Amino acid sequence: MDRFPLGLIVLIVVSLLIFFGISQRALDRMRLTDKGALAVILAIIVGSFIDIPIPGARVPLEINVGGALVPVALAIYLLVKAGTGKEVTRALLASLVTFGVIWFLSTRVMTGTTEPAGGLNYVDPLYVFPIVAAIIAYVAGRSRRSAFIGATLGVILWDVANYIYFLQNNATNALKSIGGAGAFDTVVISGILAVILADLIGETRERLQGGPASEGKPDALLAGLRKPEFDRKKEATKRDEEPGKNTSETREEVDRFEDKKI
Amino acid sequence: MKIKRFRIIFSICLMLVGIGIINRVSLVDVVLPAWNPASILSGQGLDHQVGTAVKIVDNKGNVISQACQGVSVGDEIINSEGKHFRITKLEKDRAVVKSLGMDQELLAWNEYLTDERLAMAAATRKSGAVGIYHTHTDESYVPSDGIESKPFKGGIYDVGQTFSTQLKEKSGGTILYDRTPHDPHDNTAYQRSRRTATKLMKENPVALIDVHRDGIPDPDYYSAKIADTNVTKLRLVVGRQNPNMQANLTFAKKMMAYANKVHPGIVKEIFMAKGNYNQDLMPTALLIEAGTHTNTKGQAERGITLFADAVPTVLGIEGGPTEAPGTNGEKGITGTGGGAENSGGWKAVGWILGLTLLLGGGFLLISTGSLKGVGDRINAFGKEFSNYLGPVKKMAGGKKKANKGTKGSPKDQADRAAIDHRDDVTED
Repeated sequence: MDRFPLGLIVLIVVSLLIFFGISQRALDRMRLTDKGALAVILAIIVGSFIDIPIPGARVPLEINVGGALVPVALAIYLLVKAGTGKEVTRALLASLVTFGVIWFLSTRVMTGTTEPAGGLNYVDPLYVFPIVAAIIAYVAGRSRRSAFIGATLGVILWDVANYIYFLQNNATNALKSIGGAGAFDTVVISGILAVILADLIGETRERLQGGPASEGKPDALLAGLRKPEFDRKKEATKRDEEPGKNTSETREEVDRFEDKKI
Repeated sequence: MKIKRFRIIFSICLMLVGIGIINRVSLVDVVLPAWNPASILSGQGLDHQVGTAVKIVDNKGNVISQACQGVSVGDEIINSEGKHFRITKLEKDRAVVKSLGMDQELLAWNEYLTDERLAMAAATRKSGAVGIYHTHTDESYVPSDGIESKPFKGGIYDVGQTFSTQLKEKSGGTILYDRTPHDPHDNTAYQRSRRTATKLMKENPVALIDVHRDGIPDPDYYSAKIADTNVTKLRLVVGRQNPNMQANLTFAKKMMAYANKVHPGIVKEIFMAKGNYNQDLMPTALLIEAGTHTNTKGQAERGITLFADAVPTVLGIEGGPTEAPGTNGEKGITGTGGGAENSGGWKAVGWILGLTLLLGGGFLLISTGSLKGVGDRINAFGKEFSNYLGPVKKMAGGKKKANKGTKGSPKDQADRAAIDHRDDVTED
């Protein structure tokens, strides 16, 4: 306790709580229950302390469990659980495009030897990656999940590209650590920020449009948009009687709860 | 629906106005976190050649400082005398600053560090571990290394090694010097060095120092004769895109004030630039520019050696002057509470909490569309916690609560079911 004054200790505790609190809120949109999201957060924290060295690599390579394996596992889980092949393709394409844009920005735009940032330093890469991923994922599929997949896989691919650069330059004194910063790694932060950003874009757009679009959507999805009908049986029967009537009241109520449309 | 839309847009506008007012009223003298989306469109600072410098001048044309191209409006400088400037305008090869007066916190530190306190501080120095690494591991010194950039084995390693050896000698503590390269030299090098920094943090250091060299062409800008040695001065850099910024800044000020007491002039200035520089990881993270590429490596090594005289003591200083002028000077060097570093920490806490509340509130408004919706959602948030605490509550609350739980209004059940089954209701 004598290492830091109280102000700094509080600062560290508060930032950790907020970081993990927000992470949990973002992750629980990933086909996870609240508890599931909490478990993923715990896995990321514990996994932060575990590095798996890859044997036989010419340039030493290690992969962090919390910073790379858990987020990638979650991304794969989301891909597997995705409803349609189209969705999977879209998410994977979004990841590739995210990687491409990150690569372009990093090697062509944000490069150079200016100090201290090196190049076009409008926004720190820590924030650039999730912004890119969120926008691409949203444009590709209006999907928060795709944003997470895109950000996570995009940053990992970017790391792989950097590892290839190390191999080309025979940088045997290097140690390539993928996700080595664990819970604070760009992989994790990008994934989480991308979900939040996509959520923000999505919520704003849906809000301005006046609720999620329901026309032409399959019945199964529309059923999901409504709350389970406990005390609204009467309303439901009323609606059945007047099939032409728009169900806007129902939608407004539903909107209060998150994740009706992801 | 129209009224609703109006309400949302109105609330967003209100929040923006709020942010503007906070900035204007309370933070004029405080460094602003960097967030200027408009600059992306205006394309300022697109040219980033090695060795081209921007002259930073005041409105009378006096050169305040120099920096590599890449400075942006809003960047700030506190020089060794405590003068505080903010860049307000960018022209082709110069940046114009406006003076923000003297930096009170730095002056307080200067006043606080009297000779006897220096002696006391030197006697009570601490020996916690210090982490040292380089984000740009290609950086080299042209007169000594022949070229300004040597990927994977830059001359900066020699400077880092000297710093590490000197610190070890002077503090007697553990110095964690990490030589992992993070090439190529670009902005994303910070993404890679983040792993190194975190690795160092696992060893529980009291401070993290990222050693660089600058890229401005004028060697005289950093050259100086200090303590009868031909050295390069240092520049400390604090990143503004960092929620911990206030704490890092206070740490940098303390470092500059003390180092300049020990070897006057060794730290030239504190530069607050865009970027994060991984300083969000630790309130005591610091970025040092040891001279520029046109200085000799020897000069830089001697400069950082002088700086190393100050580091162990600064890390041992607790407490410090309070920010209000006139109240400082009462506390002993080991006094705690109300210290400048403390206030930096609290300020950073305020920033983080404030931003979280502002963004959280904004998000709630956007996603629910009305204040009533916000209330409903906050209620639902409480219910989510009862999800975790449910069994405990039941045990504690006994039959009554249990009854209530099972009974609950149908609407509550609907809400819960909606939350529990959100998987089934998703589209994508």
